Amino acid sequence: MVIIATQQKEKKPIFKKVKDNEQYLTKKLDIGATNFDVGVRKMKILSEEVHVYYCNSLCNSEMVIFLFRELMRVVNAHRPNIKAKDVIKNHLAHEQVMEIKTLDDVLLYMLCGLIVVLIDGEAVGLVVDVRNYPGRQPEEPDVEKVIRGSKDGFTENIIINAGLIRRRVRDENYRNELIRVGKRSKTDVCISYIKGIANPGLIKTIKKELKQIEIDGIPMADKTIEEFIVKQGFNPYPLVRYTGRPDVAAEHILEGHIVMIVDTSPSVIILPTTLFHHVQHAEEYLQTPSSGAFLRWIRFIAMLASIFLVPFWYLLVLEGSSLPHWLSFIGPNKHTYNIPIFLQILLAEFGIEALRMAAIHTPTALSTALGLIAAILIGQVAIQVGIFLPEVILYTSISAVGGFATPSYELSLANKIVRLFLIIITAIFHVPGFAIGSTIIIILLAQVKNINTPYLWPFIPFNPKAFFNIMIRTAMPTAYTRPSIVRSIDDTRQPKKTD
Amino acid sequence: MSGSSKPEQNKKAKQATSNGRVALIGFFGGLIWSLIGYLAYLIHFSKVGPSLILAPFVLGKWKNKIGGQFLGILIICIVSILIALLYKYALGKIKSMWVGIIFGLMLWVIVFYVLQPLIPGLDPVSKLGKNTNSISLCLYALYGLFVGYSISFDLESLANEEAGSNQ
Repeated sequence: MVIIATQQKEKKPIFKKVKDNEQYLTKKLDIGATNFDVGVRKMKILSEEVHVYYCNSLCNSEMVIFLFRELMRVVNAHRPNIKAKDVIKNHLAHEQVMEIKTLDDVLLYMLCGLIVVLIDGEAVGLVVDVRNYPGRQPEEPDVEKVIRGSKDGFTENIIINAGLIRRRVRDENYRNELIRVGKRSKTDVCISYIKGIANPGLIKTIKKELKQIEIDGIPMADKTIEEFIVKQGFNPYPLVRYTGRPDVAAEHILEGHIVMIVDTSPSVIILPTTLFHHVQHAEEYLQTPSSGAFLRWIRFIAMLASIFLVPFWYLLVLEGSSLPHWLSFIGPNKHTYNIPIFLQILLAEFGIEALRMAAIHTPTALSTALGLIAAILIGQVAIQVGIFLPEVILYTSISAVGGFATPSYELSLANKIVRLFLIIITAIFHVPGFAIGSTIIIILLAQVKNINTPYLWPFIPFNPKAFFNIMIRTAMPTAYTRPSIVRSIDDTRQPKKTD
Repeated sequence: MSGSSKPEQNKKAKQATSNGRVALIGFFGGLIWSLIGYLAYLIHFSKVGPSLILAPFVLGKWKNKIGGQFLGILIICIVSILIALLYKYALGKIKSMWVGIIFGLMLWVIVFYVLQPLIPGLDPVSKLGKNTNSISLCLYALYGLFVGYSISFDLESLANEEAGSNQ
């Protein structure tokens, strides 16, 4: 376990006398008085005083007891001029034992849950990794459920997450680099990639950005890291992809992307990504190519509907007189309504958002009741009262369904904002508003160039092969090369067969 | 490198595929944006559809019906290949996406102002109305962005590859 310190300030070396160490550490941590879960165990081994510093809410007591038992079996049967430290280090029955030299490191490791053994007369401490963080078992993530395919998902523990990915990528070139971020939270951030495939310039940039973070803590884990790494500005669109599934993360690592695992977060960050990384879902790869392509197309239509359907319908209503006769069914026609349609649309959008928030906060026992209230109240009664047109409710609901069909939650939120913008600009400027508004959105998205990756690749700039692979997903036997956007050093995934 | 002929052969091969990719970009650019233009024509938002390109030719009444529109789309795709190749040799080295948009707008000016008197059936801009004008402006701008950005990105990554392999 190599933990790289982020700062090199003046470090206090460990005192030779164990009593001086005890005085310093007790004063620093208020052991006993105001801090109940840190403590020290004093023992005498080989006639030397030995202190063991621990934090019992984070360490595995069984392992510690086992270690102590081994230490207590050490008898004076060794040659008299052997140092106590060497004997003790030999008898610490664990695979990871490290030596440290400064009191700052003692505090650091102790508060991460490792135990530190200090021996009288030695200016080094021995650190043993006996951590046991409270946490859950890998379960399927809520937002990325599939019908077929593995059902394990990331948890809050960075060691388990790294293990879940390494199990799928057993290559000797696969690297997990650990960096600590945050002055007070000292959160572990792991950068995972395959050396020899991932672009080394990108890795260097990410490490540089991480080391420059000077904030005191990142309890909101990966979201905070993302805000530091990518320059989001006012752009609502997600610039990195999150996933809670190890198979998706492993697939992206093999494609040449870089994955960042942040401790205490069950989602990992995938870089670099384009808009089209957010419209794909693992389910399409777990079915046959044609079924996967069919599912993908339904998803695309739903997502396009979630952006363009309501503004487009509103435009057709506004231009009702000049429409061709085969479109005359669109529009209020015979229904009476008391509120202008523009306000109706805004009310419906607001209502659906509020409903969604209410559904998340409702405990499961009440959610059926709430669903019934929503369906009956808003649907039927509002129409009868004359507040809503049936068409407004229909199209807004279809848009909402399209929003939920979006694989990436952040993308559905961004699409909603774009939809509201288009509705407002269509209401003011009608057809030119819709046309120019859509054009401005496309141009603004195209100019987003995040970590040297154009956001609308492979649509703008156009790459026929990659675009075809997105429209119809690639069958694995035909995946010969990696997508060119990751700029990897080694392009070949499998050698071309020559029959 | 074995001899002096190999890098030249490679360069010729790379040029050939580069032209092929540019042609594909032009073809799909024409296809996608003229299809959207056709949709706008269908719902009567725009008074001109893809059959505009057939206007100088006398072909009969079916020119403005559905068959004419699809033939117009096909011809736009082919013309677009030529426009894309023209962009590659004229403006391809410029690494900005805004140049593409300006290129598209220039094309609009050429079609609707310069060539307009020569195309029978196309009213001048002031008579077309703001719906048609805004839609055609946007389509041309997006077409220019599509073709321009794709070509300059393609050439840039080709240059990076060559620089990488030469080191």
